[in-house]
Amino acid sequence: MDWLFFGEISLAGLAMGGLYALIALGFVIIYKATRVINFAIGEIMMFAAYLFLAFAGGLEMSPWVALPLAVLGGSILGGVIEKVMIRPMLGESPISVVMVTIGIASILVGLVELLWGADPQLLPRFLPREPVFIGEMYLAPKIAYGFLIGAALLILYLLYFRFSRGGVALRATASDQAAAYSMGINVRRVFNLAWVFGSLAASLAGVLVAATGGLSPQFGAIGLSVLVVVIVGGLDSILGALIAGVFIGWLETVAGAYLGGEYRMPATFAVLAVILVIRPYGLFGTHEIERV
Amino acid sequence: MAQDKEPIVFGGSIPLSGVFAFAGVHLHAGLTDYTSWINSQGGINGHPVKYVMEDTGYEVDRSVAAFKKITGSNTVPVYYGDSTGFMKTIASELNSRGTTLMSGASFATALTDNEQYPYQFIPGPNYSQMFGIILEYIASQGEGGEKPTVAFVYSDTEFGKDPIENGKEKAAELGIDVVEEIVTKPGSVDVSAEVLKLRRVRPDYVVFHGYVLSPINEFMVQMRQMGLDTQFMGTFWSSDKLIINKMGEDADGYMGVMPYNYYDSQESGPMLDALRAQAEKSDPEAGYRPTGYMQGWFNAMVWTEVVKRTLDAGKELNAKNMAESLSSIKDWDTGGIIGVPVTAKNMSFPVGRIWRVNAKEGRYEPVSDWIQLD
Repeated sequence: MDWLFFGEISLAGLAMGGLYALIALGFVIIYKATRVINFAIGEIMMFAAYLFLAFAGGLEMSPWVALPLAVLGGSILGGVIEKVMIRPMLGESPISVVMVTIGIASILVGLVELLWGADPQLLPRFLPREPVFIGEMYLAPKIAYGFLIGAALLILYLLYFRFSRGGVALRATASDQAAAYSMGINVRRVFNLAWVFGSLAASLAGVLVAATGGLSPQFGAIGLSVLVVVIVGGLDSILGALIAGVFIGWLETVAGAYLGGEYRMPATFAVLAVILVIRPYGLFGTHEIERV
Repeated sequence: MAQDKEPIVFGGSIPLSGVFAFAGVHLHAGLTDYTSWINSQGGINGHPVKYVMEDTGYEVDRSVAAFKKITGSNTVPVYYGDSTGFMKTIASELNSRGTTLMSGASFATALTDNEQYPYQFIPGPNYSQMFGIILEYIASQGEGGEKPTVAFVYSDTEFGKDPIENGKEKAAELGIDVVEEIVTKPGSVDVSAEVLKLRRVRPDYVVFHGYVLSPINEFMVQMRQMGLDTQFMGTFWSSDKLIINKMGEDADGYMGVMPYNYYDSQESGPMLDALRAQAEKSDPEAGYRPTGYMQGWFNAMVWTEVVKRTLDAGKELNAKNMAESLSSIKDWDTGGIIGVPVTAKNMSFPVGRIWRVNAKEGRYEPVSDWIQLD
């Protein structure tokens, strides 16, 4: 066994898994607060990445100005979607709401094709290009720095949810909406906040993933593949999203390296199948989740 | 120029939207401009040409619906298929109708199986033949009797896997060692683990297939970051200027196999000049025309040649007669679209040339002669 190779592969997988965790967080925050599975999360990621392209490429802004602007744009988009399209669906069946999110995804793809065309794109370079070595282990710089930026946001989120008023309101609403209402929490505002925060995490992940793998109007498909992560971790568990994200990223990469690229997806779906049999609500999810 | 004779219809399932739209809009422009040009030349034996198409979104069911709609309301001797999936799906109907000869965006090796697909052809080399041309070039680069080593990197799709087995056979035949095979997810997000595998085998050449842009850029950048002097090559759909426009200086040295001259190459010829003039006329602002445009134009050129040969022989315009006309094409001068006279073999044109990116000049430059496979 070449342990150096295994170490390098594992590092690459864990770092990629960190980005999966960030995307999964976008799913989980929205589901946890509002009980809506947002199938448009991938397209929100895509939209933010195109905004980055417009700011840093088209308008030639510094990438470090373009990045927060693009992430802000993506999170505003999430807030607007909640207010304009999801809120009127309150009280409708979960399937109807899910269908609305699928519709939103299609609209965003069409919008991006209209605004930016159908050509595949590469984002302007903004991450350092010098190889990263941890001991003797090589790690691709884009993945390494992408992971660090993503991890910084994750830590900020965890602190916010733990210590801020907004975070407490979010957690309270997630655990019992009626009680939250009765305690004077503005639940509608919390719903909107959840969409904004979920979209913010996804938008940052969108720019970081697109910086690594390129961008096209079909980029949003990655959001669906991260659904595996969310189901494995538990749809309403932030901790689950983090652990499952990192694990699935590692597993995919190791399976791809040792068995071949065609085994990446089967490996993760095998885990999904096992989890669904043993714990249908995911590793860290709560038992009463109603699955779609 | 108006003609009194019945129009000859060029039909097409065209992907103006969806995942292949980036190429679809250009091949549509190529087909449209060729139609205008041939009509300005008096059509085909006095028959005007009419191009009838539908947008398919690169979806097989929509392509089939478009085919039925267009062939239901027109007599369509030749038709453009937008994908391998559609061309395979429609094959049995095409065979039983016997009215239409089809080519299109696909270079799939399977479509040159004349038993199964007698009325479909490839407007260039198929993917296996592209690999053949690439490998012949690589074999010629060996020094002191040593053959360079090669790795294949391809997407986990029917498109990606198409030439791999034939490519391995061809490599063995030429004495080239295939030191690694990497399969990636389509739309791959991260390839750093795959790059680590290539670092261990250090191939002289990496041949990509089944991609348009990503992850070719990531492989090239990361392998160069590691100090490897590997050279990178790709097939038709990943050998357009898109690579240069998006990658910039990182694209320098990338090589592609191309059956046609590039729009902005220094080559010339009466048809290539006509193409450039027509492109300029139809859209003066467009500038460079991508390889999809060249492919659309060449498709229509072959259809014209096939229809003309069939009419000149006094035969009915049906699929069987047109397939025979196609097979009769030998040492055909394409007027500079392809730099050497071409011969149809097994419903394809197995010819191409290796071009290398000169990033400073922002274009591909030829690094081999035209290579014709037997």
